[in-house]
Amino acid sequence: MNNERNKTIRWTEVLRKYGTVIGTIIMFIIFSLVVDRFFTFGNLFMLLRQMSMLTIIACGFTFVMAAGGFDMSIGNVTGLVSMIFTIVLVSTSNFLLSFLIAIVVGLSVGLINAMLVAYINLPDFIGTFAVGSIAYGIKMLLTKGNPIFIKNPPEIFTFIGQGYVGAVPFPVILMLAFLIISIFILHKTKLGRRIYAIGGNTVASVYAGINVKWYRMITFLVSGLSVSLAAIIMTSRLNSGQPLAGENFLLDVIAAVFLSTTMFGEGEPNAMGSFVGALIISMLNNGLTMLNVPYYFQYITKGMVVIAAVMLAVVMGQKLRVKF
Amino acid sequence: MSFIDVKEEMLCTRNLGKEFNGVWVLNDISINLKKGEIHSIVGENGAGKSTFIKILSGVYAPSKGEIIINRKKVKFNNVKESEQLGIRTVHQEINLIPFFNVMENIFIGEELEKKVMTINILDKKKSAEKAKEALDTLGVELDLNKYVHKLDMSMRRIVQICKVLVGKYEVIIFDEPTTALGSSERRRLLEVIMNLKKQDVGIIFISHNIDEVLEISDRITVFRDGENMGTMLKEEATARKIVSKMIGHKSYSNFTREPVTDKDKVIFEAKDLNTERLKNINFKVYKGEVVGIAGIVGAGKTEIARAIFGIDGVESGEFYINGDRYKPKPRNSVKKGIALVPEERQEQGLVLNMDVKKNISLAYLDQFGRSNVIDFEAEKNTAEKLIEYLKIKTTGPFQIVKYLSGGNQQKVVIGRWLSGDFSLGIFDEPTKGIDIKAKEDIYHQIDMLAHKGKGIIFISSFLPELINVTDRIIVMKNGKIVGEFDPRQNTETEIMIAMLGGNNSE
Repeated sequence: MNNERNKTIRWTEVLRKYGTVIGTIIMFIIFSLVVDRFFTFGNLFMLLRQMSMLTIIACGFTFVMAAGGFDMSIGNVTGLVSMIFTIVLVSTSNFLLSFLIAIVVGLSVGLINAMLVAYINLPDFIGTFAVGSIAYGIKMLLTKGNPIFIKNPPEIFTFIGQGYVGAVPFPVILMLAFLIISIFILHKTKLGRRIYAIGGNTVASVYAGINVKWYRMITFLVSGLSVSLAAIIMTSRLNSGQPLAGENFLLDVIAAVFLSTTMFGEGEPNAMGSFVGALIISMLNNGLTMLNVPYYFQYITKGMVVIAAVMLAVVMGQKLRVKF
Repeated sequence: MSFIDVKEEMLCTRNLGKEFNGVWVLNDISINLKKGEIHSIVGENGAGKSTFIKILSGVYAPSKGEIIINRKKVKFNNVKESEQLGIRTVHQEINLIPFFNVMENIFIGEELEKKVMTINILDKKKSAEKAKEALDTLGVELDLNKYVHKLDMSMRRIVQICKVLVGKYEVIIFDEPTTALGSSERRRLLEVIMNLKKQDVGIIFISHNIDEVLEISDRITVFRDGENMGTMLKEEATARKIVSKMIGHKSYSNFTREPVTDKDKVIFEAKDLNTERLKNINFKVYKGEVVGIAGIVGAGKTEIARAIFGIDGVESGEFYINGDRYKPKPRNSVKKGIALVPEERQEQGLVLNMDVKKNISLAYLDQFGRSNVIDFEAEKNTAEKLIEYLKIKTTGPFQIVKYLSGGNQQKVVIGRWLSGDFSLGIFDEPTKGIDIKAKEDIYHQIDMLAHKGKGIIFISSFLPELINVTDRIIVMKNGKIVGEFDPRQNTETEIMIAMLGGNNSE
């Protein structure tokens, strides 16, 4: 009797922690069976390459959300970084310089977000949303909305988005590196511990002597860095600066990171979960496209996935910590 | 003799009692209230005053006993029913909307309407008339169009009373109406209550301030541990009589300790500390000394802890730890050797979704591993040692803290500071809501820390434990230090009189 109860408890525990992962595997199997050419080497690598940018930004976003914050600026900032990166590269032909400037732009936006949200105490949603709007305006101002094509791109530039190391696409390697570093920082270091403590209980973190503003700032810087990296990969893949590219990232990233809260832990966002979340979203994008489902249905599906993820998170008993 | 009064008895309770989970928090309360009478109820926190009010106002149903209004037995199932019988409560918290004006606030939820072409619209004229009437009853002049955020606290309280007066009222219960009021505001409010008395309203007045109770009451009833300790007439009541009825507790620990104070070494000093709530605070804590801070709720005890640790900003003041001046900011305070066990362990003390070891290592995380990488082994070992040392009942370092009982959660917060080395330990209500065994464990810990040469500040609104555990008691009132007592010399009554007002209330 008692034993039986223990068993059911253990089962719900497993489902709670790994249910979403099991769901992902089932979804993968279904797509493999239903969609022609889904389960092929070429398509799977394409899937991984497609999801690399999403995963990188989702990892950055995981830092922000682990500290109880939110970053609405990521989508527009991806486009802004991409445009500035392209403009500098086209006008100077200096890859290193344009690369550094792209990183600095992402970090600067992160810093501005942090100042508004962590130091001036604007609500995360409002502060970062407004910054995203400004980013949108600036990238349109710089380009008048026109794409910029890169003629005679340097080899290293092309390699970042399109190259291979052995059989593995280089963006996938970047993604795995970013993922592993994120997991390491979040779960093995004092920095990560303090970030989670702040997200878990900001007030108690202050009472434990943690400099909450400082650590929240770091999370926004990581988010900015991840956006820069993803924007560089995206620009290389497209071989051009596309002002409107990257705008879908916001919803995809939110979906991925919310899905992460349903995996592995006590309901907090985590990088491994964000990776699985990004896989789910990318699989949906990829599979539905191959099934010739019109793009607007993909939007509907993704919206429902976000709702399901958030509801799952709430049902599993933790409150959403985001401040409005 | 004077209990046989010509005035009519409007409200009376017979053997009223309330039980929660087998514990009688209120037992056999029989009191009565006459028309035009102010009947005060006093007692310590937890004496049962709030439960009593909640039963009268229909929030709780009594577990036994009866309520009689105008000679008729009544029963109410909710607040509305109690209000319909004319029992109205002016709550301690003021729930007004700051950017609504006085009139709008008075009629929130009870808006007066008139029909214009079959559509209901607000009847401003009638509202103004009724509001004016209410203000006249209170003898107060107030512009109805003024926004509430521009009013002082006593005026807000008056608006809150007007909300009651525009409805049906026979008995008005005032729950600590003068809390957070300055002396002239307090004066004004007491006058308003006296005016209501003249209109034959029956008034139940709850207050911690003995001076004002003695001033305005016709009769005073003392509650202790949920029981009625007796009712006195105004003429026979004195502060000492009231307080001696209030204190004395049914069951309490007989923990005692020996002083180990080293008067040659000052661990901590605050000089001329002023904040929004605190005025001219000066005190020292010596090595091995346990200093108690006593005072009623709202006296400014917690504010002292928050100012020293740096949670709230200070207007002025100097702070010294081990002779060094420091700037109170949480991060800096921890570095300089201050530990704070906050009042609200769940909101301020713990990350409830984290496990025991992570909560323990949170403040002194830097000691676990030299680099930025956490030494998990050391962290786990420290947690295991502290679990054993503090007798924390848990399945182990990996148990999530939210599943622990209150007392064990509190021990986790204390364990956090014991994992490092601090000089000044501030314990803000460390025994609130935990069982007697856990309380004694915490007293024992405080004694051990004093023996180790640390300075301790022990904040509590429960005087008996301060008397048992501390070497010196500082009494606070309205943000000021109003007295210092030696718990081994002075009696509980003396200290309590200082806390509640005695003769030096502003």
